[in-house]
Amino acid sequence: MNEQPVVLAVEGITKRFGAVTALNDVSLELRAGEVLGLIGDNGAGKSTMVGVMSGALRPDEGTVSVDGVERSFANPAEARAVGIETVFQNLALVPTLNIAENVFLRREQYGPGMLGKTFHRMHKSAMRREVREGFERFGVTLPPVRTKVSALSGGQRQAVAITRAVLWGSHIVIMDEPAAALGVKQTELVLSLVERLKAHGVAIVFISHNMQHVLRVADRIAVFRLGRKVADIDVHDQTTGAHLVGLMTGAA
Amino acid sequence: MAQAESAGRSWRKPRAPREPRSGGLRRLAALLANYQSGGLLIALLVMGAIFTSMSKNFLTHRNLTVILLQVSIVGLVAIPQAMLVLSGYVDLSVGSVAVLAVAMFGQMARVDHHSLALSIAIALAVGAGWGLMNGVLISYLEFSPIIVTLGGFAGARGVAETITHDVTQFGFGDKFAYLGNGTILSVPVPAVIFLGFFVVGAYIWYEMPLGRHMMSIGADKIAARSRGVSTKLIPCVLYVFSGIAAAAGGLILTSELDGASPSIGIGLELQVLTAVLLGGVAFAGGRGSLWGVLFGILFIGVLNNGLILLNIGPYVVNLAVGAVLVAAAGADAFYQRLERIPVAAAEPVAAEPEAST
Ligand SMILES: Nc1ncnc2c1ncn2[C@@H]1O[C@H](COP(=O)(O)OP(=O)(O)OP(=O)(O)O)[C@@H](O)[C@H]1O
Ligand SMILES: [Mg+2]
Repeated sequence: MNEQPVVLAVEGITKRFGAVTALNDVSLELRAGEVLGLIGDNGAGKSTMVGVMSGALRPDEGTVSVDGVERSFANPAEARAVGIETVFQNLALVPTLNIAENVFLRREQYGPGMLGKTFHRMHKSAMRREVREGFERFGVTLPPVRTKVSALSGGQRQAVAITRAVLWGSHIVIMDEPAAALGVKQTELVLSLVERLKAHGVAIVFISHNMQHVLRVADRIAVFRLGRKVADIDVHDQTTGAHLVGLMTGAA
Repeated sequence: MAQAESAGRSWRKPRAPREPRSGGLRRLAALLANYQSGGLLIALLVMGAIFTSMSKNFLTHRNLTVILLQVSIVGLVAIPQAMLVLSGYVDLSVGSVAVLAVAMFGQMARVDHHSLALSIAIALAVGAGWGLMNGVLISYLEFSPIIVTLGGFAGARGVAETITHDVTQFGFGDKFAYLGNGTILSVPVPAVIFLGFFVVGAYIWYEMPLGRHMMSIGADKIAARSRGVSTKLIPCVLYVFSGIAAAAGGLILTSELDGASPSIGIGLELQVLTAVLLGGVAFAGGRGSLWGVLFGILFIGVLNNGLILLNIGPYVVNLAVGAVLVAAAGADAFYQRLERIPVAAAEPVAAEPEAST
């Protein structure tokens, strides 16, 4: 069992879209250094939960607490400010900027001296160094940091986006289908990055329809069905994909 | 990767998702992208060498000064224009805003006998005001940049005509003549102004975060916004500066001619846009170099000057500029195509039961 502190707790979340109740009284807990898998059939409410946790959606009922403090987010920037970042399918990377420029977009560092302080001259080499060191720290192997993002593969882009989130101090990273539509090698890059972040104490919410991926990286799995959480189980050697699918569909 | 914001800019072709490229072609594409301005510089030097060998009057201090003087106004207006195009916008109203500012200046200084300083200030303010209107309509209200500034192209000249009634004001005095005809350390004042603005522009483009922010807006506005880039304020401010630069260019030309002629600024927008695109700024935004724009400006200036020195008619100049521009478009299309070539040995895609969300 994970004895780390609870970093993210959602309690009694209900979210309705008109007549549809997308989430019905759902509670979740996430601890530091833990990967929580979220699974469920289409329309089960996973992405809605991501929206609530990342500040994109406001719940009708229920609370979100980060590091023990109850929060209500007006937008994703507010969630990011307290350390929750969601890496969406649309990765928010600018293709014509290079890796380092993307990592530091809107967080540029200014150079030393008068030019830096008064005239906002960037400290490009320092930013590149920091990105290189950051990737090294999390064991990410990527092309040189001056490579344009347009030249990167899907998995490499995922890795850049995920690492960027962590470099900027997010200790809770939410990934909605991070490995969808990726090749085998690219998927491996993303999954091994998830494992290394976990080792660094980052808490991760991992959503996927691929049972193999979920079983490999998740410590715990929450199963959603029709807006409710129907199971919350620790992953161990006996956990099988078939069992999970049974929970998802209601056959078990 | 369909781009939702393209609705407001439907004149641009939607960007296809970029796939990784194979080794050799990929390197070639990167080379092209990174050294397009370098290629232009080489072409510029080669052309200079040819003109030098063909005319003893080309490579003289006097002639180089003339070239610099001739490109200053287009160059000045091209700097904010390059930033706009980089951000995915365009300003076609610059020529007409120049004439409007000049009409206002002529009216204030000669008809209403206001002071020179006040007249200049008002002329610049007119440029800024028109730019602000462009910026608010296009950036905040998301009107089409081409349509709004094409409207300004017609509208601003129309306003100018109602002010001047087609009368040219002249006789602005020696002080004002200095702006267009004076020299500082034997460099013409307009060239000093242009080079000063270029230095500031290059500093913004390459050394300040703003340069990257403009590029990110032009490349992927949604991504830029989600990172917190001011995707509305930045283009709006650029339109204001484009208007101010147009007004300043009009005033410099008025000073050179000592006449606030209603024909000032005709075709300026096309000359400016030609220089920007020749310099390798992608018309769709997101890519480009201000050094390339400088080389583009000089390229056109040297071509003009050299062909005139060799007594070759102006229609050849136009033809040559057109040909070079098409060649630049070809290089850009080639680059774009290389960008879209997928990896030769595609990796198998992992089996996903559902591609959802
Ligand atoms: N913005 C919205 N407006 C109306 N209904 C919505 C909205 N977002 C989600 N829903 C509904 O809420 C329910 C849960 O949707 P959600 O996207 O959270 O499911 P999901 O588990 O992520 O599914 P998938 O696996 O297909 O991604 C669905 O019935 C969906 O139609
Ligand atoms: Mg979903």
